[in-house]
Amino acid sequence: MSAELIDPRGPRFGAAITSALSLAAFGIAVSAPEGFSAAYPLIVLLAVLFSWSVFSPKTHPYGLVFKKLVRPRLSAPSELEDSRPPQFAQKVGLGFALLGLVGFWFAPVLVAVSAGFIFFAAFLNAFFNFCLGCQMYLGLKRFGIVS
Amino acid sequence: MYLALGLLGLTLAAGIFYKVSAGRGRSIQKSEVIDLSRIGAHKNGSPVSKPGKSATLLLFSTEYCGQCPGVRRSLTQIEKGSAGVLQAEVDLTDRLDLAARFNISQTPTVFILNALGELTFRVSGVPKQGLIQQELTKLGIK
Repeated sequence: MSAELIDPRGPRFGAAITSALSLAAFGIAVSAPEGFSAAYPLIVLLAVLFSWSVFSPKTHPYGLVFKKLVRPRLSAPSELEDSRPPQFAQKVGLGFALLGLVGFWFAPVLVAVSAGFIFFAAFLNAFFNFCLGCQMYLGLKRFGIVS
Repeated sequence: MYLALGLLGLTLAAGIFYKVSAGRGRSIQKSEVIDLSRIGAHKNGSPVSKPGKSATLLLFSTEYCGQCPGVRRSLTQIEKGSAGVLQAEVDLTDRLDLAARFNISQTPTVFILNALGELTFRVSGVPKQGLIQQELTKLGIK
């Protein structure tokens, strides 16, 4: 598989939006732990956005906004990055969003847990340039959690 | 509300801890000789079997490692600037046995081997600015 090179600030821009959405979902989910709340549509939205970047990253709205509005205001990137690590991280995010969706029906606490994990990873990515999913890839593989 | 602030605080603390602690590395006291050909070390696609004359900088990467290319570049620069230093790389993507054997849980990980090919220093994550150079100086390399 040929590696595609991307501006590393693109995924970080997306992660900043994701962290705002997931923090809102977490805050709502913990203050209304039983039954339907505004956290549900937020988790659905996150699941849609993560699926979008897993299945069609080129058409993702984050990417388009970054290209149109953010990228022209930044200086040229100091280096480009392989697109696969952030792609893998999006899959991890999708996994957690799906966990939240399952929570709608079985265990509402999972909604808060899922939003919390998504926030934790997205915030570290956006503001500390630390991609949790990418870093953990090897560790997860060693223990046979991902193939 | 308090829980959300708590989560924000926890995440900030984790991020700051990461920034402070990552890439510091540690010295290895009881060292072992690392057989470069057995672990499949390579350099620009060709296999490497002998350690560098004065030291070897060994980079462990995976195909998913986003920060490895940057580390590779800086190690190559050090290699060019110091006599007898060899830079080589091991791709762990299909060699999880090596990750287990050397207890590597994240990439990039950098090993410094001395002239005998013994592991003397290891760093997990992107090495802090100047760290590798400093450790090479300790081995007597300018």
